[in-house]
Amino acid sequence: MMQVFPSHAWFQAVREVYNGDASLHSGGGGACDTTAGLKVGDDGYLMVFEGLECADIRPAGEDEMSEADFIIEMPLALWKEMVANVQENGKADLDHTLNSIDLQQEESIAYSPADDQYRQDLFYRYNQNFQDFFDASSRVETIFDQA
Amino acid sequence: MADEKSGAAAGAATVPAAVAGAAAAAGGTVVEGRPEPSFEWMGLTNQWGVRVKPGEHGLRLGDLNVGIYGEVPEVWDDQTRRPRGALPRPGIPPLPYNLRAKHQMWADCAADLYEEAIQRRWIPATDVPWATLQPLPEAVERALCQVCTEIMQYANTEIEIITYWQDQMSYGYYEVKQYLAAATFDCARHIEVLRKRALANGGGLGLESKGAVNRMILESRGGWTESVVYLYLLRGTFVMQLLRNLLSSAHNDAERVIWSHMIEDHARHLTYGYDHLKYAVTHQEGEASVLQTLLTIGEAMMGAELKDGVLRSAMAIILGGGLEGGRTVGMESYLHLVGDYLRDYLALCDWLGVPRADQLNPSLSKYLEY
Repeated sequence: MMQVFPSHAWFQAVREVYNGDASLHSGGGGACDTTAGLKVGDDGYLMVFEGLECADIRPAGEDEMSEADFIIEMPLALWKEMVANVQENGKADLDHTLNSIDLQQEESIAYSPADDQYRQDLFYRYNQNFQDFFDASSRVETIFDQA
Repeated sequence: MADEKSGAAAGAATVPAAVAGAAAAAGGTVVEGRPEPSFEWMGLTNQWGVRVKPGEHGLRLGDLNVGIYGEVPEVWDDQTRRPRGALPRPGIPPLPYNLRAKHQMWADCAADLYEEAIQRRWIPATDVPWATLQPLPEAVERALCQVCTEIMQYANTEIEIITYWQDQMSYGYYEVKQYLAAATFDCARHIEVLRKRALANGGGLGLESKGAVNRMILESRGGWTESVVYLYLLRGTFVMQLLRNLLSSAHNDAERVIWSHMIEDHARHLTYGYDHLKYAVTHQEGEASVLQTLLTIGEAMMGAELKDGVLRSAMAIILGGGLEGGRTVGMESYLHLVGDYLRDYLALCDWLGVPRADQLNPSLSKYLEY
């Protein structure tokens, strides 16, 4: 079923793929416990990882974003470019991983809403889990919001 | 949660009723020459009846900090190997645990990082898809092997300095000792995987590092905090940039797995290091000033090491995709990498309350233009 990026339904579909394939859980080397915020254009989401699964992903307003350990924020065009690249290659190529995109930006795409270094570091400590999650989106038929 | 009601008072020496009736006292047969079990020690506890329940993430080290077992003192005078919370035994000779103040090693995250390190361990022998290695242009293979050789020495320096100080850390702060034990194992794994990468694709180890910063780290004997300044804040922040750029230049899935796992391990090490420095600065008067002095010395050494052409050239070749690219875009990328390192470093110094922007050594500040 075709899903629109960005949308809650799209993230839920990716979550189902990710949770349903154990081979996607080995990249991070084990359990991942964190709540990440995603700012995708004007939309916000909270993504909850518990153990080896993405336990929840839900839309979140600005005030709820403070619950996140860290927030990944990119312009909508860059999110779309990343997701399109994953769709095309089956996984992000070397220029479109979260790590590479972060290196290419003037300001880091990840930050702690509470200026908490410990929580912000989770972006790097769990980086491969998030990459595996977004790479799982290659198996979700995607069309892009034209906005 | 601890069952406070059943916890014996400190120093109480009551023998639990359940063991009061020893075999002999109960009229059992005593075998000639066989020692009779004694039971007096059974009541010797600071707190008994503790029942810690697993939380949603299992029974974690931090969950055990209940009752007296969770009392982490500012100073731990006991120079024995007594576990925190155990009853002291008179007459134990002191051991050279010279780090006995919390601010000398503590980080609130240590227990959690220990759990994270244990849960997220990986196995280079089987987790790295070695079969995906493909022959690379010789210059690139040589550069990659040189970088592996260099970073291996960073890792063995980390092991040596951690174990040097770990030996002197008192058991009052056992979470830190536990975490650092896991960190040394991470480093051993890094040495292993880098050696394997260097020897698995037609190359071999390269030139030994000049090791000026390694030596500075290993000779930092003023305290563990001083070592953390050099090991993690000054050098470790740079290593993170190296690893992240190596990941973005990985040639195959084997390298992707190697660098991504190393990034996660190293990020954990940095989290402890930064968190400890924050703790030391905020809990020990004058520590920020000491860090300023240490960084003035350390930056000069770091600047001198960055002038060394071996690592710089090897990274440029990798980032540029070969000799030709190494002369142009590769070297530009490397200089940008160093600039990013210094921007991260300065931001961390600000966060720690040890601002360095106005005093950054000129041998480093020149990279900020990239």
